[in-house]
Formats: sequence, structure tokens, C-alpha cells
Amino acid sequence: MAVDRRKVAVFGAAFVLRLLLICLFPSLPDLLTGRVEVSTPVNSFKRLQEGLYLYTRNVSPYDGGVFHQAPLLLPLFSLLPDVNSNPIPTAIFYFLVDLVNAHALATISESGQSVQSRLHSAMRKHIRWDGTSVAAWFLFNPFTIATCLARSTSVFTTSGILLAVSNAVSGNTLNAMLALGLASYLSMYPALLFVPLALLCYDQRAQKSAQAPSSGLFILQHGAILSGSIAGLLGLSILITGNFWEFMSATYGFHLLVPDLTPNVGLWWYFFIEMFDSFREFFLGVFWLHLASYVGGLTARLRRQPLFIITSLLGVFAVFKPYPSISDASLYFALLPLYRHLFPLMRYTFFAISALLYSSLLGPAFYHLWIYAGSGNANFFYAITLVWSLGLSILLADSIFAALRDEWEQDHPERKGQEVKQV
Amino acid sequence: MTVYSLFSFLLALAVTLWSSPVSASSDYHEQLFLQPLPQSSLLASFNFRGNTSQQSFDNQHFQYFPRALGQILQHAHTKELHLRFSTGRWDAESWGPRPWNGSKEGGTGVELWAWIDAADDEEAFAKWITLTQSLSGLFCASLNFVDSTRTTRPVVSFEPTGDHPKVDGLHLLHGTLPGEVVCTENLTPFLKLLPCKGKAGISTLFDGHKLFDAAWQSMSVDMRPICPSDGDCIVQIEQTVDMVLDIERSKRPRSNPIPRPVPNEQLLCDTSKPYNSHDTCYPLEKASGNAWSLQEVFGRTLNGVCPLADSDEQQSVCLRVPHERQVFHSEGAVEQKKADGFTRCFSLSSSQPFDLSIPEQAVQTEVALEEPVLHAERTIVGHGQERGGMRIIFGNPSKTTDVDFILFESLPWYLRPYIHTLQATITGPDGVPREVPASELVTGTFYRPAIDRERGTQLELALSVPAASTVTLTYDFEKAILRYNEYPPDANRGFNVAPAVIRILNAPDSAPIYIRSTSLLLPLPTPDFSMPYNVIILTSTVIALAFGTVFNILVRRVVSVDEAAALGAQSLKGRILGKLVAIRDRIKKKETKVE
Repeated sequence: MAVDRRKVAVFGAAFVLRLLLICLFPSLPDLLTGRVEVSTPVNSFKRLQEGLYLYTRNVSPYDGGVFHQAPLLLPLFSLLPDVNSNPIPTAIFYFLVDLVNAHALATISESGQSVQSRLHSAMRKHIRWDGTSVAAWFLFNPFTIATCLARSTSVFTTSGILLAVSNAVSGNTLNAMLALGLASYLSMYPALLFVPLALLCYDQRAQKSAQAPSSGLFILQHGAILSGSIAGLLGLSILITGNFWEFMSATYGFHLLVPDLTPNVGLWWYFFIEMFDSFREFFLGVFWLHLASYVGGLTARLRRQPLFIITSLLGVFAVFKPYPSISDASLYFALLPLYRHLFPLMRYTFFAISALLYSSLLGPAFYHLWIYAGSGNANFFYAITLVWSLGLSILLADSIFAALRDEWEQDHPERKGQEVKQV
Repeated sequence: MTVYSLFSFLLALAVTLWSSPVSASSDYHEQLFLQPLPQSSLLASFNFRGNTSQQSFDNQHFQYFPRALGQILQHAHTKELHLRFSTGRWDAESWGPRPWNGSKEGGTGVELWAWIDAADDEEAFAKWITLTQSLSGLFCASLNFVDSTRTTRPVVSFEPTGDHPKVDGLHLLHGTLPGEVVCTENLTPFLKLLPCKGKAGISTLFDGHKLFDAAWQSMSVDMRPICPSDGDCIVQIEQTVDMVLDIERSKRPRSNPIPRPVPNEQLLCDTSKPYNSHDTCYPLEKASGNAWSLQEVFGRTLNGVCPLADSDEQQSVCLRVPHERQVFHSEGAVEQKKADGFTRCFSLSSSQPFDLSIPEQAVQTEVALEEPVLHAERTIVGHGQERGGMRIIFGNPSKTTDVDFILFESLPWYLRPYIHTLQATITGPDGVPREVPASELVTGTFYRPAIDRERGTQLELALSVPAASTVTLTYDFEKAILRYNEYPPDANRGFNVAPAVIRILNAPDSAPIYIRSTSLLLPLPTPDFSMPYNVIILTSTVIALAFGTVFNILVRRVVSVDEAAALGAQSLKGRILGKLVAIRDRIKKKETKVE
């Protein structure tokens, strides 16, 4: 088998860059672990260490307000050497997870699913990046590097999602569902990706076999596989923790009810700090419904491009989930280059990118003004999170518009390149 | 020269009184100790003790036991109670070990612990809430704010001091209110519990203005059952007030409390200082001590004796100054000097007011102070409102013996400690600090982590500090951000963190020594309290914008621009415009006809 030398170079360079960063700046991982933009209560490495400390001393880590991550992470990390005395093995473990993610991304890109699927064929197929470029875009994204160095546990959710998609585009539907089960088990929200992922699997199956299977039965089957994999992982967790309801309420209950209002880049924390007590439950319901509503809308309209639905939903999650961090944004930015052919059709790229750059530079500064300098107040950081969310949602809406326009051009090849309008 | 400290005397007295509870059954006893301390301070230690037999207590025949408190305790099934109101800080470096070995002292604010008889934890907690609510009313304190987040169940830090027939059903609960401001409204109900209610006896000296102006003061109420091996059980209530007054400050008249500088010619300067000159002075403490009298320091004289107190123990006021020191006392009282060379006690006349007066006098001997067994200090380190660290420094002054103790911390839930960051540094006699794993010094740990809005953190560490060493413990914590309505009105002042309680275990047969650190102030990040509406509106706008844009794109059809123009003609708007144009044209046509 011919080794792709360019790919090896990119992966090697990404690995060496990360290694250089932690060797030259040994305090960088701890600094990034403490940043609210990178670490949230559900993916913080420091909280994981606290949970691990309690777990190794036979105290239930879920009988407390600090640890809210999945139980299977505990035995996994107790195998690694102590991070305080020997940080390199843990860091290298995270680098390897990043490389696995990048490899999955390259597989997705090389399958060509983003430009040519069963029901859809893009008009501008020639404008695209190859798998190595997409992987490089992911690996050298500063957000990805920051997440990796901060040892945030969202990288495992990211690998679950990326492996699910890469297995789906390669036709391994069983593995895809198992990987999605892992991602859902780790952070719950990826379960919302089930419908588009099942559609993606279905399209692959229908394309390969002469006779398309019954779609209802197919989705039911795969739903059962997903539930089975989640149930299996939960079963393993019971073996570890012993107390089922304690860890369920400390992990998934924590995601659902958002009791910890530590600042992050999302919209929930300040809203629920300032929300009147009597309306708190109502708005929790509204926010979750709002998040889930995109699944139906996008799936119905963009049925022909299931991979694009997944990409857009990941963008939605990066903005509207309860504890978002820049790792969610980095996952969205990783999948977006698959749609390089849509970039010429987008209208507000400059505005969206400026808003994102502006907020990622000013965010840390305003947070410093609020928390350390005391010369600003909470509104400074809150305003930046608003701009960040606005920038991401403009990018999201713009890419959805471009995808719809691309579909329209496919339906009306004679009108390619004309000015369009929506009525 | 052999000297005994006041504290060992107090302790010896307490032990004598403990050992003879039968003779003291159903009696009442009160005593006042006075001792000048360095830096023109005066320690006044008041002790009131009443007994009643268990049988009459159960029959609601309270005698010397205050009825109001007794009924609360019976209602809440409380078998042993300890309640403390404290303000200020005991300066152990100047004043030596604490009175009563710290056993009658509480952390800053209000501290309460009790052994409650209950079948299980839930029932015990329900009774505890009953108890705190009732005591809150009785003592005019905010004890009703001792909820589940401020209640802990210490495992090894406290042990019952009374004799309990069955220990299995007893639950120890402990609550603190570090932010409570102790003041005269707590003193009045405290005095009402006394049989003489501040009208006669040593309790007549209490004046809220002086008591709460003290550099340090601690009021305590202890209730416990005592069962001697040969006799009936009794229920004992002991109330103490300990305070350290600044003599200079207390002597200022209330009408004119502004301090005046000492006139130049009366200043005593330290001439050994290099900068000493005619206009620069390092003031020295007066070698002859301060002159003071009860009238000057407490603002009133002692009004006879409480007639209910034991008639055979008349020496209700004791003073600890060297015997060579002159002490004047009012007529009718009898002075008796003790053999230790420092203590003298006074038998008071039941009808006449009593005053003590000590003039300035240069003396040869001084009352030596003992060294405390352990120095402890707890501070919050770090800056910013996001995270910080706790640093606890223990110093063992002894050259020969190690100190074993238990550190008990109860932290509020919004302070989230990371116990895996617990680190220890030890500085030996050579003065070189070196880091050691915490497990080397910590021999036992009990840790119950906090749950948000449900319970606080409870940490009990069994530690050992080697001789002539200083140990520094540190751990990191994170500060939670709260909902806007969970902040007090003065949100930017910070939140009080309860003092740590240190129980020293060195002497197994004698009463344990307690030390409490000062309370801490924890600043938390605050949201902007003025704009809940603005936040709700702005966030909702961003969400609506995203939702609106995405779904607007999703539900509409894509058409080219020329198609859109053609479609526009068929729409309602297009048709209305067409009608309007037609009407205009018709009117214009009519106008041309008229012409």
C-alpha cells in the first residue's frame, strides 16, 4: 500500500507542533484547562482529575457537585500515569485522539459524499479540497489545538461523532451507530444526530444494493442498535459506579437542568443567571425544544444531503447547547471545508468571519476585565458571547442558503450562476 | 520562679467542679475571673452554672435551668447542646492560649452543635431544623438560616462532653453562621436565662456597649447531662462570657469616645531606636501597667451577690495579678490571697456594691503566659473572582513533641475545592521549606463533597506536625457564579466562609484543646443586577434571529430574480398595485375629458 506522503507529513507536523507547544510552554495545558472558553463543567480536565481522585479512593465522584462526566472515563484515565508528575503520556494520548479524528475527517472527505450522494450531485464538484487538506484544516485550527492541549474530554465526543460519520459514508452502518452511541453516552446531545445519520446510512445502503431496503424498517433497526449500544455503555457504567440514579442525575440530569452557571461561550449561562425563578423551568424547556427543532426542519428540507444536515446540526449545537465550548465550534469548522464548493455561493462570509475573529480576540480580553481587572462587569463578556453566537449563526444560515441554492441549480442546470431570490 | 497560668487554674477549677457533681446537684454557681494581659488588655471571664436533676427536668420542673431553653430542648429531643456567639479575634501571639482551652469558644459569628436523639438521619435533621428555628427566636439570632447547606455532621471533630446512657441513637449536627453580627440583642436573651437575670451578682457588670466593644468576646451556652457513677443524673447548663477589653479604650467616657493623643511630656519613648529624637518617638508600654477599676472598665459596679448562688462559695470574683500589686476594694468585701502567688479572690457582701481598683505600680514579678500548643492561620490566596486557593499554616512551637490534631472545615457549596490539589509544605527547624506529599502528614481524611444548593463541603483531616516545624497546607478552589437572586444585597462585599475548627488530641485523658481560625471573606463573580430584562431580551433576540433566519431560508422557495419579478406580479401585493394604477389612470382620463 502506497503511503500518502503528504498526509503523513501533515499528521506528523500536527503532532510535532503540539509536542513543541507543551515542551516549550509547560504551563500552557494548565492555563488552557482553566479558560472558560475551552473548559466547561461537563468537559473540564480539572474536574475529571477531581473525579478520578475520588474514584481511586473509593468515594463516589457523583455524590458531589464537581464531576459531571461519563463514568467510563474514570477507569480509562486511571490507566494513564499521574498527570501532575508525568504529563507527557496523557498529552500524547490526546494528540493521538486528535490524529484519529483527523483521519476520520479525511475518510469522510475522500468518500466525496459531500458533493455526490445518492439523491444529490453538486454543480461545482471541481471546487473542493482533498482529504489531507481538510484534515490539515482541522489539525492546525487554533481552536482544535487549544482543545487538545487543554485535555478537554469533548475530544472523545468529537471522535465519536466523526467516527460515526466516517463509518456511515464507508457503509459500515453498524459501526456508525456504535460510534454515535459512544458520543451520545459521553455527552447526550449527539443522540439528536441519529435521524440524519440513519438517512446517510440508508442512502449508502440503497446506493450499493440493487434493491433499496424499506426505510422505516431500516431506521427502526438502526435505532435499536443505537439504543442497544447506549444501554450497553450504561450497563458498564453501573458496574463502575454502583449507583445508577446518582450518576444519571449527576451527568445527564446536569446537562438537562443546567444547574451550574459557570460562564462559557454559549447563551444559556447568563440567561439563567438573570432569569426570574418562576420562569426558569419554562425557559429550560423552551431552550431545549428550540435546539431540537432544528433536527426536524433541516432533515425535512435537506433530505437529499444528509451529511450536510449533520454538519449544520453540529453548527447549531456549537451555538445553542447548554455548555458549549470552542471545541464544538472547532468540530463545525472541521466539517465545513467539506463544502468548499458552496463557498462561492455564500453571501455574508466576510461579516461572519469578522464577527468570529472579533469575538475570539475580544472575548478573553473582556473576561479578564470582568474577573481579574474589575474594570468591566459581566455584561462585557456576555456581549462577546452574543457576538460569537451571532457570527456562528450567520455562518450557519448562510451555508444553508448556499446548499439550497446548490440544490436549485441542480434542478435547473440552465440557470446556473443566475441571481436568485427566495419567495 | 514557678508560675501557673490562669488557664490551668481555670481548668483545675473546672475539673474540681466536674468531679463533684453530686454535691453540686441542683445548685447555682457563678464566678468572675479578671486578668490583665499584655498591651493594656484585660481578660474578663464570667461563668454561670446551674444544675437540675434529670428527673425534675423530665417533669418540667426546671428550677435553675431556664424554662424557655429547657422546653425547646425537650421538644427537639436534644440531649446535648453547645451554642456560641463570638466576635473579634483572639491574639494568641500576645495573649497566649485561649481561656478554657478553647472549649467554650466559637468561630466568628454563631456556631451551634448538638446531639439529637433520633431514629435516622432524616428525623435528626427535621429535629435540628426545629431546634434552630426555636433558638433563633429565643436568642434573636439568624439561626433559622442554618439550612442543609450550612449543616454538617462532623465525624471526629467533636465528642459529647456529657454522659449519655445510649450513644447509638444520638446524631451530631453542626451549623455555623460566620456572617452573623453578634450584638446586644443576643446579650439580653442570654442574661434572661440566668436566675438573677443581670439584676444581682457578677452579671450586673454586663453592659452591651462595653461587651461588644471588646477586642474579642465569646458567649457560650452549654447543656449536657452528667451521670455520676453513684447517684442520679443531673442536667447542667453552663453559660460563659469571655472577653478581652482594651483598658484604654474602655476607660474613655461614653459621651466623649474620641481618642486623644498622649501629651508629649507623658510619652514614654524607646530611646534605643536609632531614629529617636525630640520629634520622633517609638512609644513604650508603661512598665507600671495601667490603672483601672471595675467602674471605669465596665461602666458600672458589681451589685452585690446573686442570692441564689451557693452560700458556701462566696468567692465569686477572682483577680490574677502578682501579690505585691496593690489592689483596693470596696468595703464589705473580704480579700483572700491564694498560695500560687498570683491569684486573689474576694468574698462579696450581699448588700453592698463592689468595686476593684488597681493603681499604677511598678512590680518585679509578672504573670507569665504559657505558649499555645499550636499556632494556626488560614487565608485565601490568589487573585481574581474565578478561582483561588486556601492556605492553612500550622506552627508547632514545641521543641520536643509532635502535635496531632484534627482539622475540620465546612465550606459553602459555592466554594468548590479541588481536593486532588491538596499539597503540603513543611518547614523544619532549619528554616528550609520542602514539599512533601500530603499523605505523609495527613493520617486520616473524611471528605464529603458539596452538592450545589443542597449541602456544603465537609472536610476533616487528621494531621500531625513534627516538633519545631511549620506545615503549610494548600488546595485550589473554584468560585461558582450564582443566580442573581442568590446574592445578598451587598453582593460585592463577598461571602463569609466559616472558620476552621482544630481539635488537638495530644492529651488523651484531659479535655481536648480547640482552636478556631478566623472567618474568611470570599469574593464571588457577580452578574449585573440591574438588567435581567435586558439580558432576557437580548438573548432572546439572538435566538430569534438565528431561528428566524434559518427557518426563513428553509421554508422559502429558491427562484431566480426574473422569475421572482414575474411571480411578484401575481401576488396579492402585485394585484393591489395593479388595481391602484388602473384607478389612477381612470381618474387621469376623466380629468382630460373635463378639459
